[in-house]
Amino acid sequence: MLLAAVLLLATALGSERISFLEMTQQQRTILFDIRLPRVLLGACVGASLAVAGASLQALLRNPLAEPYLLGVSNGAALGTMLAFVFFESFVLARPIMAFAGAGVATVVVYQMARGRAGMNVERLVLSGVIVTTFLSSIIVLLTGLLDAARLRGFTFWLLGDLSQATWTGFYLTIAAAVLGTILLTSQSRALNLMMIGERDAMDFGVEVGRVRLMVFGTSSLLVGTAVAASGSVGYVGLIVPHLVRLAAGSDNRVVVPCSAIVGAAFVVLADTFARTAIAPRELPVGAITALIGAPVFIYLLRRN
Amino acid sequence: MSLAAAVLLALTFACDKPDDIAKSTDAGRFIKDDLGREVRMPLKLERAVSLAPSITELVFAAGAGDKLVGVTTYCDFPAEARSIQKIGDTQTPNIESIIALKPLVVFVSTASQLEAFAKTLEEQSIAVYVVDVRGIDDVPNVVRQIGEFFGTLDRANSAADSLFKRMEAARANGTTTNRPRVFVQLSEEPLFTIGRDSFLTALIERAGGLSATGDLPTGYPKLSKETASALHPNVIILSASDDNQRPNDVFRDSPAVKTGRVFKVNADILSRPGPRLVDALEEISKDLTGGGSGTANLSVPK
Amino acid sequence: MLAARDISVNFNGRDVLRGVSLDLRESEIVALVGPNGAGKTTLIRTLNGTVVPTAGQVTLNERSLKSLPRRDVARSIAVVAQENETKFPVKVSEFVLSGRFVYRRGFGWETDKDVSAAKRALADCDLREFADRLMNELSGGERQRVVLARALASGAEILLLDEPTANLDLAHQAMMFRLVRERCEGGRASAVVITHDLNLTAEFADRVMLLKNGKVFALGAPTEVLTAENVASVFGVNVLLDQNPASGKVRVTAIFN
Repeated sequence: MLLAAVLLLATALGSERISFLEMTQQQRTILFDIRLPRVLLGACVGASLAVAGASLQALLRNPLAEPYLLGVSNGAALGTMLAFVFFESFVLARPIMAFAGAGVATVVVYQMARGRAGMNVERLVLSGVIVTTFLSSIIVLLTGLLDAARLRGFTFWLLGDLSQATWTGFYLTIAAAVLGTILLTSQSRALNLMMIGERDAMDFGVEVGRVRLMVFGTSSLLVGTAVAASGSVGYVGLIVPHLVRLAAGSDNRVVVPCSAIVGAAFVVLADTFARTAIAPRELPVGAITALIGAPVFIYLLRRN
Repeated sequence: MSLAAAVLLALTFACDKPDDIAKSTDAGRFIKDDLGREVRMPLKLERAVSLAPSITELVFAAGAGDKLVGVTTYCDFPAEARSIQKIGDTQTPNIESIIALKPLVVFVSTASQLEAFAKTLEEQSIAVYVVDVRGIDDVPNVVRQIGEFFGTLDRANSAADSLFKRMEAARANGTTTNRPRVFVQLSEEPLFTIGRDSFLTALIERAGGLSATGDLPTGYPKLSKETASALHPNVIILSASDDNQRPNDVFRDSPAVKTGRVFKVNADILSRPGPRLVDALEEISKDLTGGGSGTANLSVPK
Repeated sequence: MLAARDISVNFNGRDVLRGVSLDLRESEIVALVGPNGAGKTTLIRTLNGTVVPTAGQVTLNERSLKSLPRRDVARSIAVVAQENETKFPVKVSEFVLSGRFVYRRGFGWETDKDVSAAKRALADCDLREFADRLMNELSGGERQRVVLARALASGAEILLLDEPTANLDLAHQAMMFRLVRERCEGGRASAVVITHDLNLTAEFADRVMLLKNGKVFALGAPTEVLTAENVASVFGVNVLLDQNPASGKVRVTAIFN
């Protein structure tokens, strides 16, 4: 419903005018080969990141948990870069290593955040900051070793860039997004309990270890494929679940799937702005989401 | 960081200030550099450092390459430049190494972050001179000026004259009617091209073509693929680097690809505002008139 | 029912529990008393399987607790413990309904049966008007009652309560014990309750386990266990024992000089 409207709007806008009534062959090419895959990829990336954020927040009992802030996005970015540098021709290496990078980052942050008495909110945010900045510096080091030509491309991509959308990239991302959303929605009842407390969840029948593994694994998959396709689009996993909770309450059975839809719409809108604001030049979509996301993050921090 | 400060302090207090020595042997004069800064240039310039590959090439063209004591790691042309001591790169020059070489002047381009080190060098009585080549027309004059600084004016003048002649020749050969629309692709993905602030835009025009993106603001914009696909360039020029071996897929139906008028040009001569801009001009001008030599004709693989 | 045989638990080289055994019978309330650090909470956690004993075994209906999946354990055992503050806006009704987790596999919504169990539990705990309020709007005592309601709604026949009256006012303290008592009568449930209140213990418990330094100091009826020597020995406090005129049960009064 809402998402369909947003998608339609996004496809209608772009740096070139397209008339839907009398479409020329050239306009058709623009629409189907360039604009449509990009819009659809944006939707998948948005859905993936929002769902990953929503479930991480519930699992870690922290409204500020989010793939970007926890360093998971950077882990995926580093994985993608390493895949590009070492396995350039093997295109599938990128999402695979992005998944691995995201997974490693997730585990590291989780281990760092566990105090003796279980998860600690402040420790989690702190661990996330440490891991993010550490991985950032490795990424910067790596870009320093690249030659100037590749550097330019990477710098833009790192900021979140949907312009390299292709139909093949899209198929992979949509598969991950759909699979991930289904998997995490199936865990949403357990997440409702884990959101209250790990101990409470265990007391009332949740296999905590299994749920944790499933959520970490699936969110790494979602973040990995999203980042491999479009770089680090930040704050989506933070803002979208919160908006959904404000409107619909904290029941994860509702929050998780709705986050997918709202997340998709959010990124599509941000990207539409990114590619029309200074047309025909383009802005990185990650810059737009950060511009919106950072102030919202500050507001949420203060409410807490 | 503190180590560097300690070294600088030591140099300042331990040695005679070069200033005193200079005063006694070298009167110096004040010259306005390309950014309008007042720079105190020595009358006799025997030791200098270049912080940009384009500047290194300009100095060698002016016949003063043997007077360069330090260059960046990217300064690879001409071949003799490779054996000169490396002192970092344009963005992050190694100030200690520069000072240790005791140059009298450091030539920088506008790509350097001047403020970071200009003051430090000036305290060491090392002059910092900014060279700003805005377009190919500036090249002969800058070569002459550099020759004047280094005292190699004769060689510089003959080099400048030769460059000028070649530029004129290329202009004469270039077509004035039916200018082909030219798209310069700097990287395939993401898609980067040249805008109106780039010296390449004017160069394309001089070579007899018209840049398809000449009205875009800034120098090196990232272009929307939609707009790119509507450009229909007659000629595509690829700045030959690893990530730029083919035209972007959006051009597959363009006249350029359909007629096979896709040319690779050495990335260095396209990106360095130095004497080899004239090489670029000649090559592109040949490509545009259909007599391209030494470049590969490419089409987009299916 | 639930039985602990010779349980020992060791944390970081410290023996928290040593050789504790308990056989929980149907319809009975066992009070677990002892000074701080005696191992009471650890025992509760061992009884519901969240702590694995280093020696000994816990069995539920003759089956070893270790071998059972969490859902099966949760079907039979419910815990009332100190509640964590949650940073998410959770409604009281959602909190209580989450106690019905084990009655569905995978994704699914609550049935009428779940909803009515929750409603009844809320009513029993005097929380009917609170159903749509948010957990973090409530006072500590009110939240404690919601935690009890969740356990009651779960339908489990074994209740383990860790200081359930800690934040409650007098009226609700009595209400809490009365509710547990009502549940346990008629064979519907049994309970193990950790409490510091020896009088409530005497009033409501069928048996009392007195723990000291991780070992069972005494186990038996309140009149047998709550003697002046035992209390002085374990708590280091002298007490006066007499009979509560209203109920006829043992009344413990501490002597503070």
